[in-house]
Amino acid sequence: MGLKGYIAKRLVYTAFLVWAIITVNFLIFTAMPGSPIEAYMSSLKGANPEAFKRLAEHYGLYKPPHEKYFLTLKNLLTLDFGYSERYRSSVLDVIIREPLPNTLILMGTAEVITIIIGMLLGVIVAYKRGGVLDTTLVTGSLLTYSVPIFFIGWLLITFFSLYLHLLPTGRAYPVEWIRNPPSTVFEYIIGRLYHMILPTITLIIFSVGGWILLTRACILETITEDYVVTARAKGLKERTVLYKHVLKNASLPLITNIALAFAGMIGGAMITETLFNYKGMGRLTYDAIFLTGGGSDIPLLQAIFYILALCTVVANFLADLLYGIIDPRVRYG
Amino acid sequence: MATRNQKIKFAIKRFKGFWSQFKRSKRGLVGLSIIVFFSFIAIFAAFIAPYEPIEPKITSDQYPGVPGVKIAVQLCKPVWYKYLPWIKRGYTNITEAFYFYGERQFKFVFIFFVPEADHPEEGFQQDFEKVYNFSNTIRASHKILEVKEIKAILPSGVHQFNLSEWTIRGSREVHPIESVLPAEKLIQMCPNATRFELTYSTGVDLTENIKIVKDHKFTKSESFDEWKWESESNRIDVQYDAEHGYAPSAAQKELGCLRVTYKADGQKLGENITVTIWKEFNYTYFEPPRDVFIHTSIHHTGSPHIELQWAFIREGKTFIVASNTVTESESYKHLYASSLMANTTFIDQIFAAPGNYKFALKIIIPPPQGDVTIYLDHVDCLLYGNTFGLLGTDNAKVYPSDIFSTLIYGTRVSLIVGILTAVFSTFIGLFLGLVSGYLGGIVDEGIMRFTDLLLVLPTLPLFIVLTVSMRATSGYISMWNIIIILSLFGWMGFARSVRSMVLSLRERAFVEAAKAAGGGRFYIINRHILPNVFALVYITLAMSVPSAIVVEASLSWLGLGDPRLASWGKILYDFNSSGIVTTKGLLDYWFWVFPACVSIAILAAAFILVGYALDEILNPRLRERR
Repeated sequence: MGLKGYIAKRLVYTAFLVWAIITVNFLIFTAMPGSPIEAYMSSLKGANPEAFKRLAEHYGLYKPPHEKYFLTLKNLLTLDFGYSERYRSSVLDVIIREPLPNTLILMGTAEVITIIIGMLLGVIVAYKRGGVLDTTLVTGSLLTYSVPIFFIGWLLITFFSLYLHLLPTGRAYPVEWIRNPPSTVFEYIIGRLYHMILPTITLIIFSVGGWILLTRACILETITEDYVVTARAKGLKERTVLYKHVLKNASLPLITNIALAFAGMIGGAMITETLFNYKGMGRLTYDAIFLTGGGSDIPLLQAIFYILALCTVVANFLADLLYGIIDPRVRYG
Repeated sequence: MATRNQKIKFAIKRFKGFWSQFKRSKRGLVGLSIIVFFSFIAIFAAFIAPYEPIEPKITSDQYPGVPGVKIAVQLCKPVWYKYLPWIKRGYTNITEAFYFYGERQFKFVFIFFVPEADHPEEGFQQDFEKVYNFSNTIRASHKILEVKEIKAILPSGVHQFNLSEWTIRGSREVHPIESVLPAEKLIQMCPNATRFELTYSTGVDLTENIKIVKDHKFTKSESFDEWKWESESNRIDVQYDAEHGYAPSAAQKELGCLRVTYKADGQKLGENITVTIWKEFNYTYFEPPRDVFIHTSIHHTGSPHIELQWAFIREGKTFIVASNTVTESESYKHLYASSLMANTTFIDQIFAAPGNYKFALKIIIPPPQGDVTIYLDHVDCLLYGNTFGLLGTDNAKVYPSDIFSTLIYGTRVSLIVGILTAVFSTFIGLFLGLVSGYLGGIVDEGIMRFTDLLLVLPTLPLFIVLTVSMRATSGYISMWNIIIILSLFGWMGFARSVRSMVLSLRERAFVEAAKAAGGGRFYIINRHILPNVFALVYITLAMSVPSAIVVEASLSWLGLGDPRLASWGKILYDFNSSGIVTTKGLLDYWFWVFPACVSIAILAAAFILVGYALDEILNPRLRERR
């Protein structure tokens, strides 16, 4: 089986996963006892009959279960999530217009910095294992790993915003922009960056430990392999051994994790975004869960949930592809 | 076949060998001792915590007839704050800045004064609907003893207001000072976002709860010594009565009370008779108490009705707090005044300065026809201060909880959720991994594809969606719901590693030998494969506790926890929803969340440390490379 066959196989598998996700989605939101979607619709019935009618049609309220299922399948495959009463536009539009770009900017920055720092430190630590730096960094990583992220955020807010008055406590951009938006691109970028510093640092502190530990573990795994010993025995330079033999092989599991991290990124950091009042996907999810009048915005939640899962599947597929290209053992195995 | 005794001996020997290795790992020992420490706290929580974790009340046998007496007011600071030298105590002048917003809508004029924040406009937008709605009132952060200066910084220069144009009024929590000037005039005078500066004097102090009456049940005759009384009528006598007293039930009589008697002399009197009974106490604080609770059980005969008033007396000046009319009855009536917050400008006036005070009961008897006997029991007055307990109190309005007690009880929830989740999810993962790895074929394929599917689903949103729909069906989220959800979605990684281990184990010679000897599937899995996988089980058990603890705390933080359960997550949620972090920050109320967060981190880290130690002992490859 060559690369083409491998890709075909992964594609079929990915399609299967997408179908499974839609089914799970259907089970959780529509078919579960006390169906959240029906509960949501019945809460709308009295107050807004028109909206109720629109939703009932979209979800096939009065149809038999199997037709409901096919309707869900069709809706989700075509990314048709219905109409959001609260935001007065289509659900997909609500997601794409503001929260998604905001999240991508924030999480993308945080993720890239985290991965670079984490992997660099991980390599160094693994190579000098047993030293002082190793012990400190591993213990530190374990600690940040177990500290709740909001605590890190609180500490940063308190110190940088409330004590030093250096950085804003929240929001994605200055409030003044609501009335008079920035005139130049430069001003815009600075304003956004200024509001991104604290959430980004919070995210980095929280997740860098995991990357250090992961990289360290992957490298330690390969460093004891026989071919590394052989490479050393051959008299290769230590640097060559590290780059050509250790890092190349250790990078395989890391690639999956990077792909997954970027897929998970789309979901935003719910806690961080909520804490910093940063209007991204996480904050959107939070708002969807806790409507002001009680209850939750189920259609929006369903859409977010589906999009997140879909992105993870796609990222997995891409990681698998990359795997196949890098590591011939995977294609033929 | 080994006998039972031999088996036990073997098990002990193995454990000893394991322990001698574990002892060598410093990390492991630290982790283990932390876990033991927290378990100890969790088990003996009821003895360590001084109060109930949620809605603590002073027990009703102390103050009969009251549904519950709060132990402290909300948002207290810890008691030991008084030992911190840098905390200010005494009289000071405070200057606070506000921003002025005036708006004309239709016929009405709205005026807002918004406290200075980092971004005044932001503060304005967030808060004006909630707090600052339609008022021409500045709300100071402290009690206003005396207004020194109010000025507006106008483009044309500083405008000094005449102090008679403003009045202090209203309730305690907001300390308002209201403008007498017509709103129209203010708007004409000040453009929007004009800075106002208010300077006022106030007393700041750390006050503690004071129970004025030592023995409010009058169990001993000495208890009466601290009380004094006076009356203009010489026919009145106040005495200690050891024979009577309020009894909650016939069985448990609590004898001892105060008896006020009026001896009639046959003459009909035209005037009321007043008796004042008081107890002196010293109030040493510069700041008035934040709340007052007064209680009296009373029962009288001989007069159709009497009047009972509670009062504080300072320097001969009497402040009547509340008065009650009591009709004649056979049994005791329980009178109390609580939550005087609504009228606390009054209390601010009473306790304006440190000094000697009297807590007085004034009894007014209408012109009596014959002998009157009044019995008084459970007479007490509580002054609530702004410090309480080891870690202060939370922001619950009616019955604020003692944060220290909640923290202690919260250990239970975190440990239970963490350990049970780890056990359940490890069990599920072990079972599915074994089955999938050993049976192979279509079973394996099915289980692994299902695992992949669950791994693809976004975890936190999934938990949230499930808890939300559980909340929708059962009305609330219990700890068990969270345990179930976390276990059902926490086993995938472990199942995968078990499967891969089993895959290699089942090709080993000893399994083949067992097969050849006629061992069944169950027998082989149980006796040959399981023991080899078990090292991994212990490690996973230790390693999956922390994530469960942290996820539980995060869910609670988001408001998806069990609100009736004292957990660390609830402390975090209360703090977060109180909004204090963005207004005052952690600096002012760090003792509220810091201990909970640190506990979560320490407990989670302890399990990770133990997991690492186990990993080093049970995983020979790791040992080699150290």
